Amino acid sequence: MSAVEQGAAAAVPDERRAVPRGSNIIAADHLSKWYGQVIGLNDVTLTVPPGITGLLGPNGAGKSTFMKLITGQLKPSKGTITVLGEPIWGNPSLYFRIGFCPEQDAFYERMTGLEWVTALVRLNGLSDTEAAATGRRALEMVELLDAADKKIGAYSKGMRQRVKMAQALAHEPELLILDEPLAGMDPIARRKTIRMIKDWGRAGRSIIVSSHILHEIESMTANILLINQGRILAEGNVHQIRDLIDEHPHTVYIKADQTRALARQFLSFDDVLSLKFEEDAIVVQTGRPDAFYARLTDLAASGELGAIHEVTSPDDNLQAVFQYLVKT
Amino acid sequence: MSAPRTSPTLFGSAARILDLSLGQMLWSRRSVFLGLLLGMPVLIAAAIRTIDLMYRSGIDVNGVRVQGATIFGLMIWGLYIRFIVPVLGVFYGTSLIADEVDDKTITYLFTRPIPRSAVLLGKYLAYLVCTVLLVLPSVMIVFFLIVPTAGGSIAAAFPSLLKDFGMLAVGLAAYGAVFALVGTRIKRPLIVGLVFAFGWEPAVLLFPGYLKRLTVAYYMQALVTHDMPQDSAVSLLMQVFREVPSVATSLVALTVIVVAAVWAAGRAVEQKEYVLEQ
Repeated sequence: MSAVEQGAAAAVPDERRAVPRGSNIIAADHLSKWYGQVIGLNDVTLTVPPGITGLLGPNGAGKSTFMKLITGQLKPSKGTITVLGEPIWGNPSLYFRIGFCPEQDAFYERMTGLEWVTALVRLNGLSDTEAAATGRRALEMVELLDAADKKIGAYSKGMRQRVKMAQALAHEPELLILDEPLAGMDPIARRKTIRMIKDWGRAGRSIIVSSHILHEIESMTANILLINQGRILAEGNVHQIRDLIDEHPHTVYIKADQTRALARQFLSFDDVLSLKFEEDAIVVQTGRPDAFYARLTDLAASGELGAIHEVTSPDDNLQAVFQYLVKT
Repeated sequence: MSAPRTSPTLFGSAARILDLSLGQMLWSRRSVFLGLLLGMPVLIAAAIRTIDLMYRSGIDVNGVRVQGATIFGLMIWGLYIRFIVPVLGVFYGTSLIADEVDDKTITYLFTRPIPRSAVLLGKYLAYLVCTVLLVLPSVMIVFFLIVPTAGGSIAAAFPSLLKDFGMLAVGLAAYGAVFALVGTRIKRPLIVGLVFAFGWEPAVLLFPGYLKRLTVAYYMQALVTHDMPQDSAVSLLMQVFREVPSVATSLVALTVIVVAAVWAAGRAVEQKEYVLEQ
């Protein structure tokens, strides 16, 4: 048994195991998906209880395949998957109860945010006036109402992520599925989005959120599904995994106006292990990502060192840890 | 306010997809390119009209003066029906779903409470509206430029223009449906579509027999309303198309083609998995 499996066995709390099967939002039974000779997901059996659940895994781990299976975009090659108690493949009426925010940065760029959300909500059977009102309310929820009449093509990365979320939650679904919702956001938008997701969770929605950054997921929920090489490695409150991940340096790519001033500031942080300049960006390695992100958000909010436009974390952070874990 | 939990009907959903897609389709690069293609008959018509105005000679074929309405009829058949309509059908029809897949926007449509076939149907209807809006101005301009050539009367020819519009719409519907099916079922739909329109159809129409019934062009011939000149060169051309079904047979056959092809394309979309490139 690998370190991950041992950690998982200890980490899954009893109360979580006790959730009756009928009330699970997702149930997969020996679920596999392969693309020709390539295995995307391999014999996964799991249940996801109501509440917020994080799906964590490096690039190519099978996160996207799992997300596509639970949103009915792909058909299982083997096994079954039910969402809110019903099979999802070929069951469009289930989308009344599900909202999906995909990972890809794809839009009808010529439409305004309001036009786009309204047009999509109309597909849920709302009249024009109802759809427009619903679209406005959804944009208000993601704090994008001011830019409602702006073309999506002119939106920043953070705004594009939020308008995607608006279309997912506009029809008040029971289950929200968010695929890498924080990717590319600046620190302030990131903080706002995390707050929003937690608020929706508190309001009674079930949410599945995927990421390749543990501390992002942890800031939203303690319930985590750890996925690698098409298998679920661990599920539940994975503190041990967290400890192992913390031992590894974490790389952060920051796109900002004043990279040199930021670098000077970062040098005073004792957790910063290395710094590297790239075009309009700085790449930082930190030993304590939580502390680093918190201070970075404060810096961005204060505006003292100019605007911070984008913060991303490459997949290899987690990939390195996973490689280490599965060898153990 | 809580959102409704009842899906719109298939056609209601398709109408909403049409609404969502039409603007995207009309202002796409494809429409700009095909809009330029539709300028080609206008340029030809302008050239013919200019020659007519400059030399007052009209166009003679083997010594027989060809009327403007006849030239217009030849252009409708030779340029629009046999070339432009299939081209529009191939380029739009094969990409109804593929465009959304390439742009990775298909996810937003396939995760809504409507059948996937409604997405295909809505896109197909958007294609019809879009192509009719592209073809209409071109045909109108050609009509007004060509028909007065050699003293032709616009008023007298106008009723046939309306029939031509109807025929073009039927052609767009039929070719669009066939190529929508090709686009959803076949891996290299553009190549297959072009081979069908410009290889299979012209070749099969040249030979007697039943194979020509496996083309759209065979049924479209019956809908051509224009009298063709009875001179040797053009008559020879017409001889090739001598075996023509009745209008009623053609309309029934084309309706069957449209309904069957759109239904089969819708089924294919329902069953197919679309794996987006990461």
